[in-house]
Amino acid sequence: MSDFVRVAALSEIPDPGKNVYEVDDRFVIVIHAGGQVFCLDDVCTHDDGPLGEGELLGNEIECPRHGARFDIKTGKATMMPATQPTQVHEAKIEGDDIYVRLVD
Amino acid sequence: MSVGTAASIENWDAEAFNQYVKQLGEPEWLVNLRQEAFETFEGMDWPTRKEEEWMRTDIRGFQLKKFNPPNLNAPIDPASLSRGLLADGVDIGGQVVSLNGKTAVSSISEELKAQGVIFGDFESVLAEHGDLVQKYLFQGEFDPNFDKFSALHAAFFSNGMFLYVPRNVTVEQPLHFLSLLGDNGVDLAHTLIVLEEGAQATVLTESASLDDEKPGMHCGAIEVIVGDRANLRFVNLQNWGEKVWHFAQQKGCVGRDANLFWTLGALGSRLSKVNQHVALDKPGAHCEVNGVLFTEGKQHLSYHTQQYHRAPSCTSNFLYKAALQDQSRTVWRGMIKVAPGAQKTDGYQRIDNLLLTEHSRADSIPGLEIEADDVRCTHGATTGRVDEEQVFYAMARGFTRKEATRMIVTGFFQQVFDRITLETVREALGHAIATRVREYE
Repeated sequence: MSDFVRVAALSEIPDPGKNVYEVDDRFVIVIHAGGQVFCLDDVCTHDDGPLGEGELLGNEIECPRHGARFDIKTGKATMMPATQPTQVHEAKIEGDDIYVRLVD
Repeated sequence: MSVGTAASIENWDAEAFNQYVKQLGEPEWLVNLRQEAFETFEGMDWPTRKEEEWMRTDIRGFQLKKFNPPNLNAPIDPASLSRGLLADGVDIGGQVVSLNGKTAVSSISEELKAQGVIFGDFESVLAEHGDLVQKYLFQGEFDPNFDKFSALHAAFFSNGMFLYVPRNVTVEQPLHFLSLLGDNGVDLAHTLIVLEEGAQATVLTESASLDDEKPGMHCGAIEVIVGDRANLRFVNLQNWGEKVWHFAQQKGCVGRDANLFWTLGALGSRLSKVNQHVALDKPGAHCEVNGVLFTEGKQHLSYHTQQYHRAPSCTSNFLYKAALQDQSRTVWRGMIKVAPGAQKTDGYQRIDNLLLTEHSRADSIPGLEIEADDVRCTHGATTGRVDEEQVFYAMARGFTRKEATRMIVTGFFQQVFDRITLETVREALGHAIATRVREYE
């Protein structure tokens, strides 16, 4: 497993809010919600949709293409048409910064 | 694609373009073609995932500014370069080898020359047969305005290969073209193949990286023009290293009672986005495409094919087989298009996907667009995994899991291998795939 990488200052993402970052040639969504940070692949497993452009709805994020939803903590698909989870990565706050560690 | 005010990229801006064109020292008509394409390139936005064509192909990681236009003054030692996989042990009639868009080798046998065959790197052929190049360049199906990448290619293309076979001439020995990429190399090769009426030829083209780990970019185009009653066997093997961005327009047009047999192997690159279109222009034209795709790691291969029946009584048969391992992805969008009046069309397209791992994914989208009422057009797509019962059966007879999987993968591709008439191509593809199959638990 790779190391934690700093992706942004915590102040860059409002709470609640999200942003897409490129980490090791991979695009991930970093979500700031309820004082915590979460990280998941910027891809909807239904149709490769740009999940990072979707709306944050509590603990879920909605794909802008077809409305599939995913749990931001587990990546689990919570709403059709997606049935497969999207990959989640470790994310943490250290001081004023956000760090993520990608799953291989 | 929308036309907007896309920001210029410093090393590919107007100044860089003018300098590049000056360095090429080409005739005015070609400079004008390039200038037009450059203006299109500058005016277009980069494609986004909002467009159907790019919906499943994410190129946010691609940055043109990381690359430079080919350096045509870089020294090359031809003896140090690989000669590729396809020509190994084959008695070839001519060869062109290029590195980072610059020609290293360009040769043709005296016998073919005497027959009137013109073959060589683009620059040399342009110098000697400018009129012929002008007659055919961008006159086939290749459209410089198709997207930002095709405009980039048309503006900056360097070298590549040109083949012209005169009327009723049969070229017995295959002709070979190899494009190589070095570290952070850029290849913008343009391949132009013209067979006049009744001509016959076999062309082997392939690409490879000197080092599989090094990044690179290919933004190329292939134009194939098969005249009436001509026969072309065309092989195109894409075997770039795993960090190469591959954008290509591969276009063919086929004349009356002519045949185009096109074998395509796609094994390499980090990301490929290819538009492979064949137009059947006159009655009796026939095209057969055999596609072999094998992906691994985080590779993404996107093929958009089109068989366009413009005239009546034409036949087309496109068969693709893709095997995917690790977290790799393929996207295949196939379209059979039949123009009004193209009656008695017989069009077929099929893709079969074999998923070797849980996290690989294949999207197949076959399509039909038919504007005639007396045609037969069929298509199909299948996706499946390796059958565990077959693996068990083989293992019960002493094979390891890897051997069993390899056998199943080879068997999967057999249908398409059976259609490839050139033994060296079959062997090169079969070997390349067999060595890539990993051990699975």
